[in-house]
Amino acid sequence: MTFADNILSVRGLSKDFVLHTIDGRRVEALRGVDLDILPGEHVALAGSSGAGKSSLLKCIYRTYEPSAGSVVLRLRSGSRIDLTLLSDQEMSYLRGRDIGYVSQFLRAEPRRGPLDIVARAGVSRGMDRNTARDAAAVSLKRLNIDEKLWDVHASVLSGGEKQRINLAAGTISSPQLLLLDEPVSALDPANREAALDLIGDLATQGVAVLAVFHDVEAMERLASRIVLMRDGRVESSGEPSSMLEILTQGARR
Amino acid sequence: MTTDWALRVSSLGKIHGSADLRALEDTGPDIGTAKSAITGSIVAAWDVGFEVSPGEALGVIGESGSGKSTVMRCIAGDQPSTSGEVHLRTVDDGRTNVLELDPSARRRLRISDLAVVYQDPAEGLRLNVTAGGNIAEALTAAGWRHFGRIRDRAAELLERTEVPHSRMDDLVGTFSGGMRQRVQLAKALANEPPVLLLDEPTTGLDASVAAGVLDLIRNLLEETGVAAVVVSHDFAVIEMLTTRCVVMNHGRIVEAGLTDRLLEDPHHPYSQRLVGAARA
Repeated sequence: MTFADNILSVRGLSKDFVLHTIDGRRVEALRGVDLDILPGEHVALAGSSGAGKSSLLKCIYRTYEPSAGSVVLRLRSGSRIDLTLLSDQEMSYLRGRDIGYVSQFLRAEPRRGPLDIVARAGVSRGMDRNTARDAAAVSLKRLNIDEKLWDVHASVLSGGEKQRINLAAGTISSPQLLLLDEPVSALDPANREAALDLIGDLATQGVAVLAVFHDVEAMERLASRIVLMRDGRVESSGEPSSMLEILTQGARR
Repeated sequence: MTTDWALRVSSLGKIHGSADLRALEDTGPDIGTAKSAITGSIVAAWDVGFEVSPGEALGVIGESGSGKSTVMRCIAGDQPSTSGEVHLRTVDDGRTNVLELDPSARRRLRISDLAVVYQDPAEGLRLNVTAGGNIAEALTAAGWRHFGRIRDRAAELLERTEVPHSRMDDLVGTFSGGMRQRVQLAKALANEPPVLLLDEPTTGLDASVAAGVLDLIRNLLEETGVAAVVVSHDFAVIEMLTTRCVVMNHGRIVEAGLTDRLLEDPHHPYSQRLVGAARA
């Protein structure tokens, strides 16, 4: 394995928030994170809340602007680029195409139906309308969204339905790297199963995944590696079997 | 990766009163006022710059009096600016500073190079003219002559902005606020302008009506590929319509960035207060 094989190479990534509304207080969310991800690898971030898991995802996607460090992504074209150095317009262009992000819920809920939302996500990433619509239908079916709801405004759907629509929209085209932040937190067991299945397939398509799950079972099932974070740093990382032992012991203590 | 611009604004400034530049020294976000004690003039906007690409929507956010509407009016040509440059890709392939054009050439840009949707429909429409007639004005200004074709095109535009066909021959003054905004959008898009400026397009409408107009604007932006500037004090509008935005305070841009970044990780003290207030 060489450095050049990585889809993502994070080095020394730090994030300080300066809260001007509270006397300029400084809050350190990340304190020098190093992380590499290979194509098709599924890395799960573990750690207690406040450890920096979501901050790491947001700094990579530039929803947070990193204070220091580099985030090198290998693009589909093969070239490697430090996302922290891109202009806002360049970053905006890469989003959805080379790098995807799925948060817990739909934001700025549109008054559109699920099929429209997911298909438009495909079109915005360069798919033609018919292909996008077909792919959207397949994905919604797979995630058990009742066909009767496909043209109902998403704003009136349940939390679990919105979460699955969001996941379908975020995975409609395969980016190089997909960031997932609690993508199945609101789902009942059957729907959770379908969602995890869909996420699992991404890795076989060569998509590198960096994910935060709130439950150990999802990590056990999907992760090829688990990275444990603490106080804004990577504490340890390794095979799921060995890491899960550490995690469950930690929970028992 | 294309970042070619359709609209480029640089160093745009507007001072009301004496153009004495000493006014810049005691105005702005750090001083906390736009009114100069030295010269008595008001620096409504200064050193404002941004680029917008085709298919992209840029937000301009700030409180009342921050200068955001001044910027829009200077770009639109409704107000003369004190300084700066505005370039449109469709005008001389972007080489001409349109602020230097003579007034009649400037007005002609509003036919098919640059369209504006105002908060108050009375600014963008003639209320004592029918919906169809308002759109016909925009089309005839662009050289349309055939009555039947003008009517067909007006009907098509009104359908696209979801104005019932049965209202086409009614005076706009008899329309509700939300319906007037839909007619204004239809008129603005009549000649397929590459650049569209929207000034508080949903402010003052009932929440449910505003949501409908917002949906329509979002669809139109996606479908037309127009380069849009959205001026609003409302983060919900900015979040729904734009991918990048600038924050204005006392006539200056205090921060620029990706819209989600500005909402979740605002840097400037003013941006943090603004986002904090919106989230509360």
